[in-house]
Amino acid sequence: MVREFKLPDVGEGVSEGEIVQWLVDEGDAVEEDQPVAEVETDKAIVEVPSPVDGTVRDINAEEGEVVAVGSVIITFNVEGEAEEPAEASGDANEPDEPAADPAGDAGSETAVDADEAVETPEGRVFAAPSARRLARELGVDIAAVEGSGPSGRVTEGDVRAAAEGGDDVAEPEPAATGTAAGGADDSAAAEADAGAESASAGTTGAAGGTAASVGSADRDRTLAAPATRKLAEEEGVDLNAVPATEERDGQPFVTPEAVREYAGAQQEAQRADTEALARREEPAEREVREPYRGVRKSIGDQMEKSKYTAPHITHHDTVDVTELVETRERLKGEAEDRGIRLTYMPLVMKAVTAALKEFPVVNASLDEENEEVVKKQYYNIGVATATDAGLMVPVVDDVDRKGLLQIASEMNEKVQKARDRSISIDEMQGGTFTITNIGGIGGEYATPIINYPEVAILALGTIEQRPVVEDGEVVARHTLPLSLSADHRIVDGADAARFTNRVKEYLKQPELLLLE
Amino acid sequence: MVVGDIATGTDVLVIGAGPGGYVAAIRAGQLDLDVTLVEKEAYGGSCLNHGCIPSKAMITAADVAHEAGNAEEMGVHADPAVDLAKMVEWKDGVVDQLTSGVEKLNKGNGVNLIEGRAEFADENSVRVAHGGEGQGSETVEFEHAIIATGSRPIEIPGFSFDDEPVLSSRDALALDSLPDSMVVVGAGYIGMELSTVFAKLGTDVTVVEMLDDVLPGYEDDVKRIVRKRAESLGIDFRFGRTASGWEEADDGIRVATEAMEEEAAAEADGGSEARSASDESSGDEPRGATETFDADKVLVAVGRQPVTDTLNLEAAGIEPNDDGFIETDDRARTEKEHIFAVGDVAGEPMLAHKGSKEGEVAAEVIAGEPAALDYQAIPAAVFTDPEVGTVGLTEAEAEEAGFSPVVGQFPFRASGRALTTGDSEGFVRVVADEDSGFVLGAQIVGPEASELVAEIGLAIEMGATLEDVASTVHTHPTLAEGVMEACENALGHAIHTLNR
Repeated sequence: MVREFKLPDVGEGVSEGEIVQWLVDEGDAVEEDQPVAEVETDKAIVEVPSPVDGTVRDINAEEGEVVAVGSVIITFNVEGEAEEPAEASGDANEPDEPAADPAGDAGSETAVDADEAVETPEGRVFAAPSARRLARELGVDIAAVEGSGPSGRVTEGDVRAAAEGGDDVAEPEPAATGTAAGGADDSAAAEADAGAESASAGTTGAAGGTAASVGSADRDRTLAAPATRKLAEEEGVDLNAVPATEERDGQPFVTPEAVREYAGAQQEAQRADTEALARREEPAEREVREPYRGVRKSIGDQMEKSKYTAPHITHHDTVDVTELVETRERLKGEAEDRGIRLTYMPLVMKAVTAALKEFPVVNASLDEENEEVVKKQYYNIGVATATDAGLMVPVVDDVDRKGLLQIASEMNEKVQKARDRSISIDEMQGGTFTITNIGGIGGEYATPIINYPEVAILALGTIEQRPVVEDGEVVARHTLPLSLSADHRIVDGADAARFTNRVKEYLKQPELLLLE
Repeated sequence: MVVGDIATGTDVLVIGAGPGGYVAAIRAGQLDLDVTLVEKEAYGGSCLNHGCIPSKAMITAADVAHEAGNAEEMGVHADPAVDLAKMVEWKDGVVDQLTSGVEKLNKGNGVNLIEGRAEFADENSVRVAHGGEGQGSETVEFEHAIIATGSRPIEIPGFSFDDEPVLSSRDALALDSLPDSMVVVGAGYIGMELSTVFAKLGTDVTVVEMLDDVLPGYEDDVKRIVRKRAESLGIDFRFGRTASGWEEADDGIRVATEAMEEEAAAEADGGSEARSASDESSGDEPRGATETFDADKVLVAVGRQPVTDTLNLEAAGIEPNDDGFIETDDRARTEKEHIFAVGDVAGEPMLAHKGSKEGEVAAEVIAGEPAALDYQAIPAAVFTDPEVGTVGLTEAEAEEAGFSPVVGQFPFRASGRALTTGDSEGFVRVVADEDSGFVLGAQIVGPEASELVAEIGLAIEMGATLEDVASTVHTHPTLAEGVMEACENALGHAIHTLNR
């Protein structure tokens, strides 16, 4: 018996996933729960397990393809049952029904193989109103979407898939082949046009440069004999641009020879430019287009939502962390002895958590629906992490209840999992405040975007020695630039400043954290 | 604009508070648009005030009277007396409740209400003339307008609704005493519904119809059941005749009719060659032969026409088509991007639910939502006895559309529930595509057909297959089981009927 396997809903709100890698081939034997594919969804890669013991019959999606939740990605032949697909779809509904039931047989005669393409008369599309609305929302022509539902019905998943991968949209049926080809021609023509346009732009620019090199005079007023003016006109030369060889009454005077020389030089320059252009690479390669989807799109969507929902304010400050640097130097060796790498981040997380306890409004979120400010009495700190795939935010839960080394250990582990893409979605959820460390790469201040629906995010610049005035003397101290972005709907500038001041105190005198 | 006049501005101006207009106004209000609704007469339009609701109220009351008086078979003996004035008063109460509800809903959704008759001054403003002397007028400027002025009954030559014995459907629903006899001109759905009401209340009804059967546009077996039941109620049909005039007679009026010329009748029938064999009155009499019928009243129910002639559409740059309808696209837009038309003015079918859906779409489009009129089928119901409910394609239409239709039928006489109601005439017919199993349409004639058809409407919109409907457990004993059984019949495994 054939068992179809649909991409399951692997996480909250996830509607689609990209098949990163198939872990099996057609014909492979698989066991129940054996991973068969890696699927990238939202911000994580998850392994999709086989639901059955059996062999892989068909793989229906290619690596790199984005598939909608609910679409069949792989089918299995289940061991001990017939190899061929069941003929009657009704059988699946009533497995206990004896095969000899005459009614059942009659039913199977009219049953339809779901995989069979159904040609729909009059171009009518069978799809639920919700799928139709979604198609309009996403700008998808539903008539061009191939349906994966019963008898080829177009599902919401099909519409999403079509919206995501424009190329995946089913080509119109035979009659439209000509149109499709025409479309290809059109786009080729459009590209050619674009090329021509950029070529001419290039010529103009380059010519200008060359003219300058032969000495464009670019005057306001030039004296010349009428015959010379006529010559300039014929040669397409601006008289004011021709270098003047003489002066008359204190004004530059241009001779016919000068015009000819200038015109010749210009033509030469143009020819050189044209040749240079001809040697250049094809304009089509001037830009590379990559799909905006998967993690990149998730990040984009999240950033957009945050930026346009929460009015951001960013408060900047610098703290003298000389003592923190010394403290960490002392503790680092101890930590290493216990097999843990201690960075500044766990210390900052501790300092931030201590400050959050004093400023609950910063450890909050806004429940817009119920119009309530939700002040969290737990402290789950997200650590923004740059990965090859983009920004991810692993969360260390209950930082207030954990020791420095435990925080360091957990954070290191989760950051590593984010980098090698093995982190799960729930390890990136439930945060109450986020810290991002731009300093690791270099730089001082930034405007971090809040990890919505949290209300604040702290960006750390680079810790380095900077000149500080102490008692009227300029001294070199280790300083750390801080940038706190906050949701101004519920965090005012004063709150942001006070909170940052408190963080600064902890970072300036890390022993205060011992009191926490 | 009149000198000294101050124009009011609005995002959305809705003209007409019928089921298209008030729904559009409410939805636009829900979408935070500033909405102004202009109504010249009564909230709810024809549907609530003079059409669907009052007629259904009267149909129900007439059914109660008729059934109570015809239940000897069930052992119930009664001789109901009908007080028409009281019945109309009750009906008016229902209507008042609904119209005041519509007004409250509009206000509750922030809709500005203006009473008066609107006509376009230009593409972005209307002049609203308030009713009554000295009430004046005002100008309303709009960003978007939705025309929802509905339709009115068609008058025919020789029969003016201004004359007291000549009734429009609206007049018929407001009578304060029951006529002893009535001639009904037209056997379309309005003529048939009202004929049934009056026949059940005890009026002698003669229906004059220029075609050769009732309910044009419906399939023959559907028509036959409705006609037979009407005949059993005592309604006398005169097919192939037109009404030419009326005159006062000794005791009431005398309505004159003429036999249609055969070619003309065929033309009026849309060129249909199929004639009802059972029709005895339309065949053999000489062409042009006149016949008169004595009656107390004559009800003219030959159809409805869109109200587009009072709007000064020209000023808005909109031209109705030859039938008076305003043409719209699938967003309910007219040729002017910012002006929409919904309901009866926007074309056939002239049905309240179509208008309401168009009203919703128009409001949503104005609000920038991705709405469109992309429904697959609009259901229709005729509240005759028995009722008729249809949706989607007939077998012939499905074939014409290129499907390979498969049909499943279930007669109500095989329905336990139908038998327990004492009303088991009729059938459920489901049409589907044999290759894919997709449900394409249904024709239901029988008890509660108007309700039952909704299930198939949903099936069509959802792209459900026969299997989907047949495998859905239906409550027993209900009439809805008939829908399930018809689908099973199409699949060849119905339980309560023999499979074809």
